[in-house]
Amino acid sequence: MEKKKEVAIGNLKVLTGFRTADLNTVPRLFWNRVEEWGDRTAFREKVYGIWRDISWREYGDKAKSVALGLRSLGLGKGDRVAIISKNKPEWLYSDMGTLVAGGITVGIYPTDSPKQVEYVMNHCGAIFYIAEDEEQLDKILGVRKELPQLKKIIVIDPKGLRHFSDTMAMTFKELLEIGKNLDNQEPNLFDKIIQVPRPEDLAIIIYTSGTTGPPKGAMISHQNMLSVVDSWLELNPGSPTDEALTFLPLCHILERLFSGIVPMMTGCICNFAEEMDTVPQDIREVSPTIFIAVPRIWEKFYSTLVLKMKDSTPLEKLAFKWAMSVGRKVSLYRLELHKKPSNYLKILFKLADWTVLKNIRKFIGLDRAKYCLSGAAPISPDLLRFYQCLGIDIREAYGQTESTGAVTCHYIGDTKFGTVGKPLPRNRIEIAEDGEILIGGPQLFMGYYNDPQLTCETIINGWLYTGDVGRIDEDGHLIITDRKKDIIITAGGKNITPSEIENQLKFSPYINDAIVIGDRKKYLTALIMIDDENVMKYAQENRIPFTTYASLTKAPEIIKLIQKEVDEVNKKFAQVESIKKFQLIDVKLTEDDDEITPTMKLKRRLISRKFKDLIDEMYKS
Amino acid sequence: MVLLRVSNIESYYGPIMAIRGVSLGVQEGTIVTILGGNGAGKTTILKTISGVIEPEKGTIELMGERIDRMMPHKIVRLGIAHVPEGREIFYDLTVRENLMMGAFLRKDRKGIQADLHMAFELFPVLKNRASQLAGNMSGGEQQMLAIARAIMARPKLLLMDEPSLGLAPLLVKSIFGVIKRINQDNKTTILIVEQNALMALLVAQYGYVLEMGRIVLENTSEELMQNEDVKEFYLGIKGESARGTKRWRRKKKWR
Repeated sequence: MEKKKEVAIGNLKVLTGFRTADLNTVPRLFWNRVEEWGDRTAFREKVYGIWRDISWREYGDKAKSVALGLRSLGLGKGDRVAIISKNKPEWLYSDMGTLVAGGITVGIYPTDSPKQVEYVMNHCGAIFYIAEDEEQLDKILGVRKELPQLKKIIVIDPKGLRHFSDTMAMTFKELLEIGKNLDNQEPNLFDKIIQVPRPEDLAIIIYTSGTTGPPKGAMISHQNMLSVVDSWLELNPGSPTDEALTFLPLCHILERLFSGIVPMMTGCICNFAEEMDTVPQDIREVSPTIFIAVPRIWEKFYSTLVLKMKDSTPLEKLAFKWAMSVGRKVSLYRLELHKKPSNYLKILFKLADWTVLKNIRKFIGLDRAKYCLSGAAPISPDLLRFYQCLGIDIREAYGQTESTGAVTCHYIGDTKFGTVGKPLPRNRIEIAEDGEILIGGPQLFMGYYNDPQLTCETIINGWLYTGDVGRIDEDGHLIITDRKKDIIITAGGKNITPSEIENQLKFSPYINDAIVIGDRKKYLTALIMIDDENVMKYAQENRIPFTTYASLTKAPEIIKLIQKEVDEVNKKFAQVESIKKFQLIDVKLTEDDDEITPTMKLKRRLISRKFKDLIDEMYKS
Repeated sequence: MVLLRVSNIESYYGPIMAIRGVSLGVQEGTIVTILGGNGAGKTTILKTISGVIEPEKGTIELMGERIDRMMPHKIVRLGIAHVPEGREIFYDLTVRENLMMGAFLRKDRKGIQADLHMAFELFPVLKNRASQLAGNMSGGEQQMLAIARAIMARPKLLLMDEPSLGLAPLLVKSIFGVIKRINQDNKTTILIVEQNALMALLVAQYGYVLEMGRIVLENTSEELMQNEDVKEFYLGIKGESARGTKRWRRKKKWR
């Protein structure tokens, strides 16, 4: 047994991170891996509290059955299949099955309302709807009379549906059965269909939540996905011993690439987190070697640590302070001065690492991490610095759905804080006259589905107009200023980039998120969402009575606390950039709310509209 | 006037924090209810108020006077009576003796006699069984006895822990009828903890919803009964789905 494992990994070393030229579509690459890697673990899923291994063979079998099943139900080349589920292996079985059968996968966020589901289903014209459970089934049942193209509804988890029958609905298990039957009848069919999709064909449509107007469907080809992963791995090589935790929605390009495509290249094992709430515990159990998260997660870890340190003994506090200062010096040498630290400092760091830093990394669950990544939203450079001091190699990447994910990232050992790094190989970046960032290269998406007009406005002469404003610094690193549309021009005519101020605010352990307002106004204000856990703790410790979340946001002592944090941030900015007034958002917003993006950011426009009264209040003279 | 004011209390069961910072107020002469599922911390709040559990943090004031960290018997003397969950009557004493235990701290014979009379009037069953051993009574009768015993202390504030627990629906109705009478006739302020949310909201003027040791919602009973989350999670009123039956529950938002 032991020997077999070794051989398998030995073989893998040759393969990992590379693909031969003939593996130029996702299905071809996928099937090659299934055949090569067979019994090796592809995923781990927690079932009744125990991590269960799923091999590449099982992954392949399931995907094959899905492909043939969908085909016998009438899936033709280019037909759309919608998947609405939280991250679980069936998501990827369905995705790969669809792609192999020549279909196009459309992921729908499981938190979407029936109305949003109806919009996406209608817009993409999906003929199949693969639903996680009863809840997702009910969404489609309520709106299906508006969806004439819909042929079948497939339910992954039939719990609670024993007495339900509907000619249009079937279970995932039944789909697999149909697939197996077809395979028995026509054993050669699968090998034939897997060769059908071509590299330049449309593979997936990713709906991006438009901050204005309805969501847009970005079309991504096989080639798009493979080329971004190729470039990524050239800079950040992986290995078959890698472990990753998948918890960001698979509907998002970031997670789709890292949980879907990267494992096919490196042999990395994907561990499915149980729920969003269990992520901190799952990280500790899995101890991933690669950890990719959105800024909100990094901010949360940070504030948990900061508050934990407040509760510690004076000795612990002293040790932490000392270790962090050593870590800071080392990272300063390495990343900012580009010099090797002295031997004395190296020994000091070893000591600090052994006594303090290692334990903190273990506490978070990142003690095995080779590198970590923050993406999908801007993050405060101070936060990156903090993690570098801890000895966690955290880097930032920048990209958007339209560029098939990352186009720039910090190269190894070249993390420059405040920038998003350099372009990935084969990608070009230019800055337009008005400061807009333009992207060129193999990762440019195919356009917006059924919206040639918008496509023409977005891709001009082979350049993707990102809508972001930025510049390239003297070392060739890209610096993002802000979204073009978000830049505030005050009544005094001063240009202000809100995200810079917002990131500083979010750095406070008591502030979860913030939106800076002030376009065409005399001064800047902010809507602030408090970090309820930490603020409640503060209230408890300082005997500030409160009952509900709303009452907490109204407590004068809490407003004073946040005022102090805002004052701190104001010190870092010029007079015109300081926040004169702020209001606390008095409802607790969760991922289920429209006001929050799937990557857990507040949606500026929706929030500004919804809390208009609070904003108006701040501009009353 | 605020009779009881609880501020930021935190109570532990061993290493487990059962209430994680709870503040609430009870107006004199009202019935206030705390709703919450199993393990939400409802009982712990009552036990902390009556002094059985000492809070780790926070303060409790009865008519402006601090009562936290006081011994339970002193708190009873100040006018708080506790009807514990599961009755906890003295099985080997008679019904009358049980009732007299409630008046243990009182010296005014006349008053005690009058209250005994009132208790018998509220619960005629108890009068019929006055000399019977309490342990031989049915669950419903024992619950009545527990309530009657508590009012024998002539409390300003009556704490009731799940009076409907384990009782037949008809009996629940009559018990709640009596609770209302105690409040109206005796002007006793009542803080009642319940899982039977509908009954509790019908008699109470104000309510708090407790989850995981924290208050997530507070409002008048009328407003609470209109709240979407209270409706779905506490009153069992479910939204219609296309299939007619809906088993899954949406996430609680508490707003």
